[in-house]
Formats: sequence, C-alpha cells, structure tokens
Amino acid sequence: MGATAIHTEGLTKRYGGVAALDHLDLDVSQGEVVGFLGPNGAGKTTTIRLLLGLILPSEGRGEIFGLDCQRQPVETHRRLAFVAGEANLWPSLTGAETLHLLGRVQGQVDEAYRDELVARFELDPTKKIRAYSKGNRQKVILIGALMARPDLLVLDEPTSGLDPLMEQAFRHSIREARDLGQTVFLSSHIMSEVEALCDRVGILRAGKLVEMGTLTEMRHLSAVSVEATLDGAVPDLSGVPGVSAVQVDGRVLRCHVRDSIEPLLKVLATAGVTKLLSREPSLEELFLALYGGYGQGGETQS
Amino acid sequence: MRTPVPIGRSPGRVVADLTTRRAVRSAIIWGYIFGIAIAWSAISYTTIYKTQAQRDALAAAYGSNKATSALFGPAPQLQTVAGFTVFKISMTLIILGAVWGLLTSTRLLRGQEDNGRWEILLAGQTTRRGAAIQALGGLGIGVFMLWALTAVITVLTGLDSKVDIPAGPVLYFALAMVAPAVMFLAAGALTSQLAPTRRQAATYAASFLGVCYAVRMIADAGVGLHALIWASPLGWVEELQPLTSPQPLALLPIAAFTALLAVVAVRLAGNRDVGASTVPDRASRRPHLRLLSGPTGLAIRMVRPTVVGWWVAIAASGILFGLIAKSAGGTISGSSVQQVFSKLGAGGTGADAVLGVCFLVLAVLVAFLATGQLTAARSEESEGRLDHLLVRPVSRSSWLGRRVLVAIAVLVVAGVGAGAFTWIGAASQHAGVHFTTLLVAGLNLVPPAITIFGIGVLTFGVRPRATTIVVYTLLGWSLLVVIVGGIGAANHWVLDTSVFHQMASAPAVQPHWEANGVMTAIGVAGALLGGFAFRRRDLQGE
Repeated sequence: MGATAIHTEGLTKRYGGVAALDHLDLDVSQGEVVGFLGPNGAGKTTTIRLLLGLILPSEGRGEIFGLDCQRQPVETHRRLAFVAGEANLWPSLTGAETLHLLGRVQGQVDEAYRDELVARFELDPTKKIRAYSKGNRQKVILIGALMARPDLLVLDEPTSGLDPLMEQAFRHSIREARDLGQTVFLSSHIMSEVEALCDRVGILRAGKLVEMGTLTEMRHLSAVSVEATLDGAVPDLSGVPGVSAVQVDGRVLRCHVRDSIEPLLKVLATAGVTKLLSREPSLEELFLALYGGYGQGGETQS
Repeated sequence: MRTPVPIGRSPGRVVADLTTRRAVRSAIIWGYIFGIAIAWSAISYTTIYKTQAQRDALAAAYGSNKATSALFGPAPQLQTVAGFTVFKISMTLIILGAVWGLLTSTRLLRGQEDNGRWEILLAGQTTRRGAAIQALGGLGIGVFMLWALTAVITVLTGLDSKVDIPAGPVLYFALAMVAPAVMFLAAGALTSQLAPTRRQAATYAASFLGVCYAVRMIADAGVGLHALIWASPLGWVEELQPLTSPQPLALLPIAAFTALLAVVAVRLAGNRDVGASTVPDRASRRPHLRLLSGPTGLAIRMVRPTVVGWWVAIAASGILFGLIAKSAGGTISGSSVQQVFSKLGAGGTGADAVLGVCFLVLAVLVAFLATGQLTAARSEESEGRLDHLLVRPVSRSSWLGRRVLVAIAVLVVAGVGAGAFTWIGAASQHAGVHFTTLLVAGLNLVPPAITIFGIGVLTFGVRPRATTIVVYTLLGWSLLVVIVGGIGAANHWVLDTSVFHQMASAPAVQPHWEANGVMTAIGVAGALLGGFAFRRRDLQGE
C-alpha cells in the first residue's frame, strides 16, 4: 500500500451530550478500497461529513492526503469527489447542465470518460432533474463524481435507488477506479457490494470503530456454517463446544460452529456422515454476528 | 401474527390535522401582529389627535386626497377613531394578510409535494382530491384563528373609553382584514396545482396580488376609473368599508371568488399526477450552459426568474407612481396635507411630496427582494444542494461572498430601476421631476434593504434555521412601525427600530447620506460577521 489517503485521530462529534462519533482513529492508504459499515445512526455519515469539512469536530482531527480537513477544505476537495445518498440537485437544470456545472466547479473532467459513464449508466442527460426518478438523480451524482477522476472517491450510500443492472455498472466503475490507483471510501448498507469491492472493512457501532480489517481477518467474528447429512439418528450436540443454532430436518443437520470444528466432527463421525458442507460466514453474517442478530446461539436442538 | 391496534381517531383526516396544526401555528403569530397593530393605531390616534380641531385638520388633509387614496385606500371619517384606524392600518394588513395567505397555502400544498411528503400522506386513507379538500379545511381553520385573535384584541381595544368602538363593528372589521388572507389562501391553493414548484406557485400568486393592488390603485387614484374597484379582489375588501359605512354585500364576490378558486384547485388536484403541474413543464430540453461556470453564475441563474419578477413589479409600480404624481401633487400643494406628509418624512411640495411617500412602497418591494435573496441562499443549504458545491474546491466564504455580491447587485439594479421607471411615468405627465433626482431617490431605497439583508446574513451564519423568520419579522416590523407610527407622533425609540423610518423620503427631501451610510455599514458588518460565523458552524438541514 502507498501513502496515507485518509487519517483521523480521535475524531469526535457530539450533539449535545450524545456522541455521534467517538474518538475515531482511522487510516486508509492510497489505492485502497475501504468499506464502512454500521447500522443507522452508527456515525458513518457523520464521519464522512467531518472528513469533508461540512461539519466541525468536537474533538480530534482528520487529514486527507496530509491536508487538514477543516483548515484546508479547498485544497482537500481538489483531490476528492463525493457522492451523497440523497440526490438533492437543482430541479430546473437538466442532467447535462448539472454535469457541466459540477465539472466546472470541480475544475477537472475527463470528458470522454464522462460520456462513457453517461452511456454505461443509461442516463438521458436532456431531462430536467425534477423529471428524473430517484435512481436517475443518483446516477447524475455518481457520474459527476467519477468523471473528475479524483484521487479519492468518498461514497455515502452511493447506489441508493439504483437497479441491479446499474449496481453492476457501479461496481465496474469502482473496479476501474481501483485499477487506476484511486482510493475509494465506501459507506454502504449493501453487504454484497462491500464484500465484492472492498479490500478492508471498518464497522462502526454507536459512534465507535469496533472492527477494522480485511474480510479474512474478520472471519473470527462469526461462526462457520455447517450442513451435514447423516446415516443414522442425529446425535445430541448440546455438550459439543462452539456449536450453536442447531437445526434438524430429517437426517440433515445444520448448525454454526465457533473456533475449532474438530469436536463436532468427532461426534458426527460416530453417527455416520454421508455428506458434509461447511461455509465461511458472509460479510452480512459477520455484520449481524457483531450486532448480535445471528450466530449467537439460543436455538435448541429439535 | 398480532392484529394491528387502531391508533388515532380518524386516519382519513391526517392531512387536515397536519395542515391545521401548521396553519394555526402561523396564524397565531400573525393574529397577534394584526391585533396589536390595530390597537396601536387606534390608541395612538386618541393620544395624538386629542382635540376636534386637530381631527378636522387631519380629515381636511387626507379626506379627499387622491394620492394617499391610491396608496392606502380612501380616508372617510378621519375625525373618528374608527375612520382613522381603517385608513391608517387597513391597507397594510390587507397586503400582509394576502402575502400570509399565499405563502402559507403554497408552503402547505405545493411545498409538501416538492419535498415528497405529500406522496406519503396520499399513501394513507385519502385521495388526491380528498387530501386537497382536507388541506383547504386546515387552512380555513388557520384563517379562522387569524380572525379570532385579531377580533379579540380589537374588541378589547374598543372597550377603552377613548377608543369606544362596539364589538359588532369590530368583528366585521376583523373579518374585512382577514378577507384578503382567505382569498389568497385559495389563490395559493390554485397556483399550487398550476405550477411545477412551490416557488413558482408563490410567484404566480404574488404576481396576481400585484395586479390586484395596481388595479385598485388606479381605481382609487381619482382618474375617473373608480368602477375598476370591482375588478380587483382588494377593491372588494375596500368596498366592505368596515367601521365607516359597512357594505356587507361586498362579502358576496369575496365568498364567491374564494369558493371558485377552491373548487378549481380541488378539481385540478384530482385530475393531475402527484408532483406534476397543470401548466406544461417541459421535462427535456437542449442544455443551456450559459452562467453554469461556477457558484456565481449558478446563483444568478437560480434567482433570475424571481428577481426579474420583482424587477418588473418595481418598474411597473414606479411607472404608475410617476403617472399619478403630478395630478395627486396638484391637490396637496399649499394645503394642510403637506404637514401630514411631513410627518411621514415627505416634505417638499407637489409631485415631489407624493413621490416621497410612493417611494416608501418601492422601498418595501426592494426589501422584499432582499429577503427573497437570503431565503433562497438558505434553502440551498437546508435542501442539501449546497453540499454539492462545498465538497468541491469552493470555500464557504467564497460561496457566501458571491451570493452577497449578487444580492447587492440585484438590489442596486432594483433601486436604479425604481428611480428610472418612476421618471418615465412622471416625465410622460410633465411632472417636472428631474431624472437624476429620481435616480438618487431610487438608490436611496437600497440601504434599508442592505440593512435587512446584512442582519439576515448574520442570522444565517449564527442560527441558520431562524433566517427566514428573522428577516421577514424585521421587514414586517419596520413596515408596521413606519406606517402606524409615521402619521402621528410615536416614541422615537420605537420609530428608530424601523429601517424605513431611517430612510429619508426622497425625492421629497434630500437623502440622508449619513443615515444611509450607517445602514449600509450595519448591513456590511452583519454580512461580514455572518460570513465569519458561517465558516465556523455545521451545515444544517431543515
């Protein structure tokens, strides 16, 4: 990895007595694609708005490419582009006029790439913003950011309102950006999107960064899913360490296993296993595990 | 699955409840303002014009004067508290009520549609037509509250032995004062169905109000066209003649007009798609890239339709004032009316004196233009569009500074235009007023507007969500003080709080350059401090 693209130290934002973001320490290297996850109100958008200088920190500081986000916003913004989840644009302008305006304000546009993006996202630029659907307005913002070929793309729920085909077009565009060495900071609720695109993932909870790492590094957060087809009766698994969420459907057993799978295999071997499947948790499962909604046991053997 | 438990009494009436709540909240504020303004006017008359001789002099000055009649309406029975109160305050309340009505209904109808909330409400147990009816019902309750508060405060004032106006006539007077609010609530409801955005809906309704005012002015200007009074809804209100010679039959056209507008609005609401407009709005067009090179050009392009509308209104008013200046001035030369005009700050003689008072109206229009610039800037922030500029290499200072410069340019052009177009009207009647005199009088309108604008920018920097309420309150207060306090004596501390009182009534008198300098300095200081504060706060939505 290269030099640091985003760096924060103790970045904190309080509204009254409530900490929307609590001492965030974060480093994103140049060329990385980093996902930022968390439920509603976890502090994702607050982090982004602090980095963009749209709101002021209560404590701490943030840097983008070594430039102070609060003190040098103009210099910082020359090197980044932002996509918001809410596509509030000027209703009386057309798509083409909006893209022209955003390009002129940004100060740099790859015009050929812009035209390619317009075609890729199937945007009719002659329409007025007020005549666009939510998804089409989102496309305008996306194209407006991507066409500048910035060093850093800051994306806050960027695919909100896009259909699955356009979601694929978005993923293609982000991969292109990564291949060109652009850094991407992606806040999203779509786990498959983050899983498919991101080198590292950070998970926020109640304003605090509770996990940060690659997907492989984060697998320890959740159990492995196991599905076994047995010859005989399903044995009692209540005493097997690490096993939870046991479900039995005839001779098919499904459960989750934390830590070592060996104790489970020993018990299953005595019952005669004809087929065994195990799968590592998806990012969604990891996320839910972290928030206590999945894989925490509690189900009893049936 | 558990069975959902019903909550609330009537889910089908949610739109009515929401609209009522918001309309009543606003109506309570304005009801107090209406009531206090009337009370102030009545009580000030009893303290200033104590003797019959003073009252007779006042009646002689204003009673048959066509210039003041054109501006403020006829002035019968100025020897009485009731007659004076009607003359002094009614036109101000008529205009304020109409503006309140059109802004409230476009906000609660088209505004809700613009921000997507209308769709959520329509997903409930109602229809497009039903929701429009409910909203009109809610607005009706709001205007009832406006009438009730105005009436209560005025009845209490009438109990004063010196004022001594019976409750019956007072209730009718209050009804007359809120009648424009009723009609323009309905007008706003109709334009909300016609226009594609709330701003355009309000502009359509405001333009209609301007036409109504102009037609009424011509009817009252003593140029033989008094029959035109029946061509203007504001004329119908005038014909109600509360507290002097009540003509309740004039309620008929008011009621019929309101009902017609409401029925058409409801029908249109039922016959169009949500979010669409009745007036064709082309969804596609070739790109027009002029001015879209940065924040300054964007600001100009976004405010251009509204600003041009205000410029046209100011120019048309200027021409109209110029046309009547000579004839109206002739009726006051050498009469005691000059003394009364002097109390309004308009010394001089003839056309100059009349134009001195007329330019007060133009000053109000220019100030409205200033407040509009500021609320437009605030809506860029509150609706999230400013984010798209400030996340690019545009500093907050640069963005706000450009908006301020655009606004000042808009105000200066408005002032110059006011002077130039008034001269065109006056010159066509050989009124003998010099072009440069009126040009200077036009520029004299700018400092009060800059003061309001600067204080507004300061509010924007410190408490952005209070921006709109602060600038409109400041404007309304200044207007109220200068109208209510201007004719008679009033506490100078109160008078000094009005920016219009600080403005000399040019061309009747020479502009007070010192006062203009102070007002401009206050405005500039407010803008600078506001800019400083804006750099040090969070961007804030609605």
